[in-house]
Amino acid sequence: MLSVLICDDSLVARKQVAKCLPQDLESRIHFAKHGEEALDAICENKGDLLLLDLNMPVMDGYETLSHIKQQDLPTKTIVISGDIQPEAKQRVLNLGAIDFIQKPVNADELRSVLEKHQFLKSDASIKDEPEALDETLRDCYQEVANVAMGQAGDHLARIMNVFVKLPIPNVNLIEVSELHMMLSDVDAHESTSGVCQGFLGDGISGEALCVLSDSSFSDMAKIMQVKGKIDDQMQLELLMDVASILIGTCLRGLANQLDMQFRQGHPVVLGQHQSVQELISANKSAWRKTLAIELSYGLEGFNVQCDLVLLFTEDSMEMMNAKLAHLLEE
Amino acid sequence: MTIQAARNEALDELLEFHWMMDMIQTVDVGIVVFNRNFEIKVWNGFMEAHSGLLPSDVRDQRLFDLFPDISEPWLTQKVKSVFDLRTRAFLTWEQRPYLFKFRNYRPITSTAPFMYQNIVFSPLNSATGAVDHVCMMIYDMTDAASAKKQLLSFQVKEAEQEQVKP
Repeated sequence: MLSVLICDDSLVARKQVAKCLPQDLESRIHFAKHGEEALDAICENKGDLLLLDLNMPVMDGYETLSHIKQQDLPTKTIVISGDIQPEAKQRVLNLGAIDFIQKPVNADELRSVLEKHQFLKSDASIKDEPEALDETLRDCYQEVANVAMGQAGDHLARIMNVFVKLPIPNVNLIEVSELHMMLSDVDAHESTSGVCQGFLGDGISGEALCVLSDSSFSDMAKIMQVKGKIDDQMQLELLMDVASILIGTCLRGLANQLDMQFRQGHPVVLGQHQSVQELISANKSAWRKTLAIELSYGLEGFNVQCDLVLLFTEDSMEMMNAKLAHLLEE
Repeated sequence: MTIQAARNEALDELLEFHWMMDMIQTVDVGIVVFNRNFEIKVWNGFMEAHSGLLPSDVRDQRLFDLFPDISEPWLTQKVKSVFDLRTRAFLTWEQRPYLFKFRNYRPITSTAPFMYQNIVFSPLNSATGAVDHVCMMIYDMTDAASAKKQLLSFQVKEAEQEQVKP
């Protein structure tokens, strides 16, 4: 099986690239935050194919490429960068990269590049693409989510007195099996705790999922000025507080823009100290496709990683689209 | 005629208000309304029955004076977001089994020593649009909690037996 190493300092970018990999590419995906991590991973045979960003701290893409060239490491590199100057492209090709893709990467382009270099058999007949979300509609959802998320971040910042790093919201139609992939930036080895909360109103219903990585708790306790032992009960308390604020403000921001109100059910603890996989598979149900809006928050200066996913049922989308129609009008 | 009609309407409204209040009194959910200073304004029948405190006993009293076991800094922090951000805040029984130590509803057939509670703090908009009061709703979760605890202990027992086997 092909091992694919995605190297980018941005979490969102890593995830985006992972999501764009063709579904029929049989691969194991690994991540690296900068060149040094990538070189280590390649030495551990975790990078037959390296998807490399250029601008990174510690060791940037150019340095990484020259190291690979010097040491003749067994990997093929495709550079994925926002630096679209012709010079940049020429330089990386000279340093041994086999191709260059512009950011933001899209699935079709990545696919054709992989086909070109024979990582993937080009076979049109097995094209079983999941139906994609209409581009304008996705854009619309993204914008609405952006506004809601900004409000939620602002609220969090005011309650906690911290600077909240706002992510780019990720909007996608997904299936349940893909949900854990979505949360794949939470390190596979790291345990997490999560709560979920149902919401509904005006024919729109869904569930909000708030997942906090366990390593976040000590910093979170500092921020919330919690004194005393950070035991399981205290962690649950912190998780509930964060979830209440994030989910509550985010839903209110969405509802305001849709000119409606959501009722919230009582939050339910999904699990504590489990892998993301366990967290979700333990609660897997028979749903099909859902519209997922994913927001991953970070706090500046703190090791806090919090993912908020809003999942809408398939039948809610019709109503939402109708409510968003006024935004789409010219 | 018109005066008569207006009078009837006012009377209807009053009667309606009366049965609405009765509903709040009898619903099997604890309802407590308090202001920014945690002075209690509403204390419904559920709260009265379980705590043994009459509405007249608690009205305008501070929650923390009546229930010294509840930590003031902790609850103040929790409710801050409800007043300031107008979002709901939640407590689940998994997080802390209860806020008010009430007796189990079924003292004979249930084994739980007290009532497990889920609690919601919800902002109340006043006529001016400001949030001056918060409504606290207390749900009895004893059955769900005992069932989950039983299931857990069963799973642990099973896992232990698995280990004993060679």
